[in-house]
Amino acid sequence: MFNFNRVFAMVFRYTIYLRHSFDRLSDMFYWPIMDLFLWGLTGLYFAGLNKNPYGIDIILNGVVFWLIVWRAQYEISINLLSELWDKNMVNIFASPLKVGEWILSVIIFGLLKMIVSFIFVSIISFALYKYNIFLYGFYLIPIIISLLLTGWTIGFIVSGFLIRYGQKIQTIAWAGGAIIAPLSAIYFPLSVLPYWAQKAALIVPSSYIFEGMRQILFTGNISYDKLLISFLLNFIYLSFSIMFFVFMFKKSRKLGLGRLI
Amino acid sequence: MENNVLDVKKLSKKFGSPPNEFIALDNVSFSIKDGEILGLLGPNGAGKTTTIQMLLGVMDPSFGEINYFGKNFKKNREETLKKINFSSTYISLPWSLTVSEILEIFARLYEIPDRKRRVEKLLNDFEIESLKKKQFYMLSAGEKTRLLLTKAFLNYPRIILLDEPTASLDVEIAVKVRKFLKIQQREYKVSMLFTSHNMSEVEEMCDRVIILNHGKIIAEDTPENLANTISDTEVELLIKKDAQKAIALFKKIEIPFEQDRFSFKIIIDEKRVAEFLILLAEEKIGYEEISINKSDLEDYFMQTIERNNYNV
Repeated sequence: MFNFNRVFAMVFRYTIYLRHSFDRLSDMFYWPIMDLFLWGLTGLYFAGLNKNPYGIDIILNGVVFWLIVWRAQYEISINLLSELWDKNMVNIFASPLKVGEWILSVIIFGLLKMIVSFIFVSIISFALYKYNIFLYGFYLIPIIISLLLTGWTIGFIVSGFLIRYGQKIQTIAWAGGAIIAPLSAIYFPLSVLPYWAQKAALIVPSSYIFEGMRQILFTGNISYDKLLISFLLNFIYLSFSIMFFVFMFKKSRKLGLGRLI
Repeated sequence: MENNVLDVKKLSKKFGSPPNEFIALDNVSFSIKDGEILGLLGPNGAGKTTTIQMLLGVMDPSFGEINYFGKNFKKNREETLKKINFSSTYISLPWSLTVSEILEIFARLYEIPDRKRRVEKLLNDFEIESLKKKQFYMLSAGEKTRLLLTKAFLNYPRIILLDEPTASLDVEIAVKVRKFLKIQQREYKVSMLFTSHNMSEVEEMCDRVIILNHGKIIAEDTPENLANTISDTEVELLIKKDAQKAIALFKKIEIPFEQDRFSFKIIIDEKRVAEFLILLAEEKIGYEEISINKSDLEDYFMQTIERNNYNV
């Protein structure tokens, strides 16, 4: 079904692009570090004010783990945008590359980049604030996977719009992830949201993950129900988001991919 | 039919829906034989780019069928795209990547088995081996065009779609590129679909020509045959001493002429040129210089488009 030589060719293309692009390197290291400084120090200050032992952990938890969602969605959208900026769409899709192979390549590349970025941020946050991501133990793996799936879902929805409407709506590549951020309860419990927003958050998979993480932090126990619901929603959404992307790709091809350059 | 590498049947492309429907390509059929170079000509907006996009599979036709190597393109997309390639001056390549990185990526995408050797050979053929470490955005327009051509030949294509392949090349390099393309045609039987606004290039390169206008084929033949359908011949004369006698003669025999001091330009039917020269001799009209220019593809193209636009 997939030709892995072609998938590798595209992973190779984005890796080289990363090497040549200061923008892409800075969003991998510079901005996460700045977030850690800014939010970490803010967390320390408020933790001191409220004498809350978990204050800093809750904030850093949000910074470090939201990075997974953000990176996962951003990588998919930005790699598609890079093809539009480079006027390279026709070159790659007039080659034997299938749209499914392109999807797989951006998933693999995004995953590799996210792993590097996540490890880097985890080390820095431990060095600066003694914040240890391994406090979640074995649950770290399903937490990361679930957040990745959420990020990819947003990434494919955003990319679906980008491939259909082109660069004129490129701002959604940066704004896309922010749509679900308030409903994900990254830094605060769901209970502080207005009633309608609490109800809306029930269909946002990342809200279960961040709520669950805070539960582990406070009680040491995980809610398997929350994890399960999150995975279930993620699988449904991700399947639909990929179908949506392929649908929009076909719509765009009907009009001609050449118009996007 | 057996020898055809490409068969296009009743291809149409419509955008929008009535009453705002726009027909970019209307019921176009043509074929390209093995090792044949077919010129696709037409003014801007004629449907050339639309045709090329559909032939590359980056635009879906509204109606019609495209068959490569006797097989339906839609049903054999992956297999077909391995054997075809293209180069267009309107398409770019990743700006920040170096020449060798770009070629490495495309060689991998097309799964070229001997990719290092193939890349080296083509870089050498197009005389850009010294640019390997240069990033795409640092290349001149001519160097970019040559890199696009290098990319286009990477996968040993059996048919290649060339959209103005020599635009932005200087004369010397354009001659070399044309020579390279002719060698590919002669020795490797590579078929080509060739668009260009340079009519003398089309006459030199193409075995056959199709002229598109308003999405329809309005002419199809060899460049020579098309040019020969126009019998108008331009005769330019430099007449100094007998200029007044010449003017009187042209008026008498009702030949329209253009005059610029002693230079006269007359357009007459090819068959009447000899008769006209005899008449000049009989009237004892001497001329210092004469040039007789037969119509070429460009004249045919201009006349045909003009006539077609008038009829439409």
